[in-house]
Amino acid sequence: MNSTTAASKQDKPETAPRTAEIVREYGPFAGATSVAGVTHDGQRVWAATGAQLVAFDPASGETTRTLDCTCDAGTAFDGTYLYQIAEARIDKIDPASGKVMSSIPAPGHGRDSGLTWAEGSLWVGQHRDRKILQIDPVSGAVLRTIESNRFVTGVTWVDGELWHATWENDESELRRVDPDSGAVLERLEMPRGANVSGLESDGADLFYCGGGGSGKVRAVRRPRAARA
Amino acid sequence: MDSLIAASARALAAGDALGALKRVALREDPPALALRGIAMAQLGEHPRARELLRRAARGFGAHEELARARCVVAEAEVAMAMRDLGGSPRALAAAAATLDAHADRANALQARLIAARQLLLLGRLEAARAALAPLDVHDLPPALAAVAELSAMELALRSLHIGPARAALARAQEAADRARVPALSAEVADARAALDRPAARRLFAGGEQALRLDEVAALRASNALVVDACRRGVGAGDAWRPLARRPVLFALARALAEAWPGDVDREALIAYAFNTRHPDETLRARLRVEIGRLRALVAMQAGIEATARGFALRPRDAREVVLLAPPIDGEQASLVALLSDGAAWSTSALALALDASQRTVQRALAELEAEGRVRAIGRARAQRWLAPPLAGFTTILLLPGALPIE
Repeated sequence: MNSTTAASKQDKPETAPRTAEIVREYGPFAGATSVAGVTHDGQRVWAATGAQLVAFDPASGETTRTLDCTCDAGTAFDGTYLYQIAEARIDKIDPASGKVMSSIPAPGHGRDSGLTWAEGSLWVGQHRDRKILQIDPVSGAVLRTIESNRFVTGVTWVDGELWHATWENDESELRRVDPDSGAVLERLEMPRGANVSGLESDGADLFYCGGGGSGKVRAVRRPRAARA
Repeated sequence: MDSLIAASARALAAGDALGALKRVALREDPPALALRGIAMAQLGEHPRARELLRRAARGFGAHEELARARCVVAEAEVAMAMRDLGGSPRALAAAAATLDAHADRANALQARLIAARQLLLLGRLEAARAALAPLDVHDLPPALAAVAELSAMELALRSLHIGPARAALARAQEAADRARVPALSAEVADARAALDRPAARRLFAGGEQALRLDEVAALRASNALVVDACRRGVGAGDAWRPLARRPVLFALARALAEAWPGDVDREALIAYAFNTRHPDETLRARLRVEIGRLRALVAMQAGIEATARGFALRPRDAREVVLLAPPIDGEQASLVALLSDGAAWSTSALALALDASQRTVQRALAELEAEGRVRAIGRARAQRWLAPPLAGFTTILLLPGALPIE
């Protein structure tokens, strides 16, 4: 517990945390006990629940589609296909059929957590290694490494901002980091017990957060000051 | 958590311990160590499981105290399954406090339940009672509730509180049915069988009668003056005098009860209580002193009358005198009957209670231990002897509900 305080002290020069505003909660979903990765395809939110990808309508909260596929950690969407971390690989999945089109090895060999798509690359969170890797979605080659000082769970890009979720010792935050230096620019503190396993922006005002063992997905308001 | 940890945890939750191991077999980070430890425990590899969980707890460290606390609880449970009761109760208590602080109620209760069961297994019944009393089993996962009720039953039975024991057993049965763990239901059935086994014999002139535990308890609660050669004591109702540490007084009480309503010859009393066939004036004087002591102890329930040739028991208010003996004769049966109070006995205390030599008692204990009917804790001078628990409750590893990495 002392090192938690020590970690917060370290962070202080960077930026003070603000409280995350949870707008809405979804789930738990039928047959699922946990939620890992989340992504947004423009209309629906997809949540990885272990053995099924569940798509729901964020307005009504209704589940609109489920795909049977292994989904252990981060989820991403490139405009056409879903990408899903399963065991130690990243599957490219056709959201219409649920078919796995191709797979590449995950860069962390299974230590991978969050996943997002941006600028033609996949960005992969390395959980306990506290890193975010930019990789080539075809070959899986690592293009860039960004260091964080906390465990990385979800990762997302929105309006040129790189955000990642962290979950350490039952405490979670959403953090905006400098993609070059890894410096923490902004911190949103989640309430106790609302831990974040996956993160995705809807491209506008909201973040969707996978709620781990709670089996929920939470919508968190993106702070106004962050939007340039 | 990362993807392979999630995949491994998913396999473990589905009961696929080997699948869980396969995914994290070569990893040494704390969540992987914890998963490997839990998988190993489920495969029955307890020493290895314990080592892995210990390393996981160390790896999580003070920074990840919630995950560490869950590992500490899992390790304590594995240690208990190994019947290694030397762990630190303070570490377990600290883990419970941490789990409480993180609102992980089920695992905090699990930690406290393990601590209470350890005390039960150590024969520290008062401490176990104090540890169990504040636990709220409502809304607990059914498997944990079943274990809590089995522990309560064990505690009640050891103090011959048959009604509360049966009630706890019924609740344990109900919880075990809900938990749908066959091994738990089997333990409840075993505990129920223990209630129906003969626990003592009632001796009377010209015969004997086998009694179940609840019949023993009923007699002890009745108005009758009970001389109990199982638990070595004399009394009626609430007025109970344990005489395990006063073998001469107990021998006199037993001899008088056996002869009741008749009297017992002085010579015979001396031979029986002092182990000698050569009574002299000193022994007669000593007999008078000891009878005086016994008279003072049972004064409320009975008088001890001097007769022409000896002494006779004269219960008050037309009470009956009941003599209880172990279910079968012999040194071993007497030992098992004494240990049935669930407390931890030293060899010397047992020898004193049975008025036998330590060597004789040790020999009998060694034979009983080989048959699994008594067990020892500690070594050398600190060694203590206990009856095995009525409820097995250590054969099932419940392990902390949420995995350490969740």
